[in-house]
Amino acid sequence: MNIPVEKEASKASPLSLLVPRSMQTRMGFLVLISTALIGLFVSQNQSVVAAVWVIANVFGFTLQRSRFCFASAFRDLFLFGSGHNMKGIIVGIGVSTIGFAAIMSWIVPNTNSGTLPSEAHILPVGISVIVGGIVFGIGMVIAGGCVSGSLYRMAEGYVASWITIGGVILGLAALTMTWNWWWDFTISTEPKIWLPSSTNLGYTGGVAVTLIGLILIYLLVIYRENATGIFTPDIATKKRPAQDFQSRIRNTLDPVFKKGWNVALGGATLGVLGIVLYTIHMPLGVTGELMRASQLGLGWTGLDVPVLNGLADLGGCTGISDDKGLITHTFAITVGLLPGALMGALFAGEFKLRLPNNWRRYVQSLGGGLLMGYAAGLAVGCTVGALFSAIPSLSLSGWVFGIALAVGAFTGTQVIKRIH
Amino acid sequence: MAKEQMGEISSIDVRGEICPYPMMKTNEELDKNQEYLSILDVLTDHPPALSTIPPQALKRGFDVDIEEVSAGEWRIRLTKIN
Repeated sequence: MNIPVEKEASKASPLSLLVPRSMQTRMGFLVLISTALIGLFVSQNQSVVAAVWVIANVFGFTLQRSRFCFASAFRDLFLFGSGHNMKGIIVGIGVSTIGFAAIMSWIVPNTNSGTLPSEAHILPVGISVIVGGIVFGIGMVIAGGCVSGSLYRMAEGYVASWITIGGVILGLAALTMTWNWWWDFTISTEPKIWLPSSTNLGYTGGVAVTLIGLILIYLLVIYRENATGIFTPDIATKKRPAQDFQSRIRNTLDPVFKKGWNVALGGATLGVLGIVLYTIHMPLGVTGELMRASQLGLGWTGLDVPVLNGLADLGGCTGISDDKGLITHTFAITVGLLPGALMGALFAGEFKLRLPNNWRRYVQSLGGGLLMGYAAGLAVGCTVGALFSAIPSLSLSGWVFGIALAVGAFTGTQVIKRIH
Repeated sequence: MAKEQMGEISSIDVRGEICPYPMMKTNEELDKNQEYLSILDVLTDHPPALSTIPPQALKRGFDVDIEEVSAGEWRIRLTKIN
């Protein structure tokens, strides 16, 4: 049956801007050359930052290719009983955990020495992380993407994601103005609980407990999928027969550049990137730079911005950094993922300026962004910094944040079911 | 019985929508007239929908065929499995 639906439908696309496939590939190479030149330029004075920039490029590319989505991971479990993305996250955290343990045991060989490994995302556990997780969970479901998700979608041409990130920066500014209240109320007394020392487990015990926890959650996800009767289909995509040299090359490149990656492969790649980044500097986190942007913005408003108590000693995505100027470590991670994701979209021919037709989506993007920004500030990290990098740091905070995220995401799904 | 009377071809345009709306609207459409629907075309520009819609459609007894209609736009054709 051949129904020419697509032709008619494609015409009725007033609010979109399509870029032809051939032009996308050329633009992709242009981005590749530009980002390489930026890396080379930065490496003149800051070789570590240049390395972080390159890793962030790969990070963005991986997020785009595997369509990694923390918001969907939590939301779809409740909304559709699908554990697709959650499985990818669990694999990624598992991979990171092993590498992080090796790095941390090198920094702090004796877990009972009373010191915590520097740069690890071991964050305070208490009301702040619970409230932060719940509010973040609601925000990411309403906005349709978390902070990292909205960042790479910005690069893919989603205009609503630009609004979301704007909302995140505003939310972080609101948190900055109220941080000292939270500090006095709860954060100053919250303990940092590190599994190897606080529970006397050592590295082996800490890693074992973490991996067992991850396996149990994985089983829970499968149980949920089974209960709702969902399964991951084997979609037989039409394969071009490899006839000549050119199409053989294409068949080799397509799984990487054209087709979406398996989410477990994406998760594992992100896990490895987290390890590599921690080896050269610090674990993955994207909120720090947005925090810096919001502080900069607040400075321009002329408001009386308070000095943030205790933040310097917290670790995680505080946005506090020793290096001066525009191009810092946090800048390299957060901004560096954008060209990576843009390349992913362009080489796949998936770039498109996407404007929602429904005005409610803009409100959702801004509102969800505001909630996520405030919450990420409060929890000192988002789904990347306070979850994906915290659990492998063997920090209890990561687990608490994850559970709170699930509660928030559940609440969020109740909200979006009512918005059409 | 319904098989003989079916043949209704329907299409929805969910371009501009992001998760979970493409999938939610597809599910609604499939559930609304599952009995008479034989083909549902879903037009989307949201790549994650390419991996989220198929399991939902298969669960409801529809086969999935994805075709790229232009750069960044896909038509997901859901055909009822007889």
